[in-house]
Amino acid sequence: MATVLRVDNLTVSYNGKHALEKVSFDVQRGERVAIVGPNGSGKSTLFKALVGLLHPKTGRVQTDGAEIGYVTQRSAVDWTFPVTVHDVVMMGRIGKMGWLRWQRPLDRRIVRRCLAEVGMAGYASQQIGELSGGQQQRVFIARALAQEATILLMDEPFSGVDAPSQEAIMDILDRLHDQDVTLLVSTHDLNLAAERFDRLALLNRQLVAYGPPGEAITPQTLVVAYGGQAVWRGEDYAMVVGDIDCCGEEGHHHG
Amino acid sequence: MTDLLALLIEPLRYPFMVRGLLASVMVGTLCSVVGTYVVLRGMAFFGDALAHAILPGVAVAYLLDANFFWGALGMGLLTAVGIGYMSRQGQVKEDTAIGVIFAASFALGVALLSTVQSYSVDLAHILFGNVLGVSDADLWLTAGLGTVLLLAIVLFYKELLVISFDPILAATLRLPLNALHYLLLVLIALTIVVSLQTVGVALMVAMLVTPAATAYLLTRRLWHMMIVGAVVGTVSSVAGLYLSFYVNVASGSAVVLVCTGFFVLAMLFAPRRGLVWGWLRTE
Repeated sequence: MATVLRVDNLTVSYNGKHALEKVSFDVQRGERVAIVGPNGSGKSTLFKALVGLLHPKTGRVQTDGAEIGYVTQRSAVDWTFPVTVHDVVMMGRIGKMGWLRWQRPLDRRIVRRCLAEVGMAGYASQQIGELSGGQQQRVFIARALAQEATILLMDEPFSGVDAPSQEAIMDILDRLHDQDVTLLVSTHDLNLAAERFDRLALLNRQLVAYGPPGEAITPQTLVVAYGGQAVWRGEDYAMVVGDIDCCGEEGHHHG
Repeated sequence: MTDLLALLIEPLRYPFMVRGLLASVMVGTLCSVVGTYVVLRGMAFFGDALAHAILPGVAVAYLLDANFFWGALGMGLLTAVGIGYMSRQGQVKEDTAIGVIFAASFALGVALLSTVQSYSVDLAHILFGNVLGVSDADLWLTAGLGTVLLLAIVLFYKELLVISFDPILAATLRLPLNALHYLLLVLIALTIVVSLQTVGVALMVAMLVTPAATAYLLTRRLWHMMIVGAVVGTVSSVAGLYLSFYVNVASGSAVVLVCTGFFVLAMLFAPRRGLVWGWLRTE
């Protein structure tokens, strides 16, 4: 198995504070990695550092020039911007088009194909604000596909998306996995992360745990990462990891 | 019918009107196209500040009896890059930085100009434009530089689109974000410098914002917005100039008022987005 992404002792500062501290991990080609952690744990910061938008204070990110696709968090997009579905996906082709060049028939074909792959073929001329949450998410996935990305970063793709659309997105991710695309997905949904991903990175500014779901998610690691409340459903029990003040004991089970 | 034709032709008998119309059309087009980015990126305050901050440069040129253009150019580029740099530092909020530079520069410009006895007339021209004083040389300069700026917008269209819509995508595509950002600031600064004589400092922001804002309500794609904006800007400029010829009001203000009229019409009647349709739907 080849390592496509290596993060080495990464520390990133944001507004004078450490958003990420000494994070180190590697990802193999075709792996599905879920990045989980509470709000403000640095998930978005990690992604921004991976694509080079934020520069690390120390440490580094190694991608060997792989094409990285970034599927933006829906809350960060300006849905009133005058672009259609076609325009958004075509943006992914810019790296292949080069400076001072226009769309070629090849680019148009690729855009059409990528839209078809995510099931959005008929929506090319719609303005992006007219779409539903799940549709918007799929358009941005199509854009990453148009980039011919081999590594896909997805920032909270399931938030604000209804269950059928979540399933549709998971289907697309499964298909991409079959094509050996490496996936890094940040999510709040611990259970989804444990069910559908190969390794989990539990993040709270530092990398609390990294490994297969069974190893990465334990009462201990959850308390360190979440501090407050987290819900974890094991094989035959449901556990609420409460605050220490909850009933006087750390990480005990409630039924 | 012949009356209407006569009305249209009458101003064209005066060379200064013809030059003024040509200048207004070029500036109306340029400002609307560049104004697209100003509107979409929320840079109206920046545009206004930049127009005012140019005053010291113009004042120095005035005192040295040189062409205003070079003073405006130097000051415009300096201010644009300066504001761009300051916002990246993060010590002061960008809004504050712009406000401080805006006021200080403008005050400096007025102070410099006031050292000359009869400064009020020329100050009025600088503030409100002097489109009827456009010379042939001015026209060529406007046409030449305007063409270069429009060409730059066209050549860098997709890159400027990406940095405006999704900077993170721009980073993944390995686009030079900083360079492109400064490119945009410089394009806006040069647009203002080119348009200064026609529109004037005080109403500059209107020409950057109103046509593009009108076009925004009527279009769904960026390049459509640019084209519709250019049409609105051009028609407003011509109509405004004719209005000022017959009704005898200041030309710059007439252009802006006509343009605003179009904006109000768009706000009320734009397909799907117009307020009137909203009211009718709730009936």
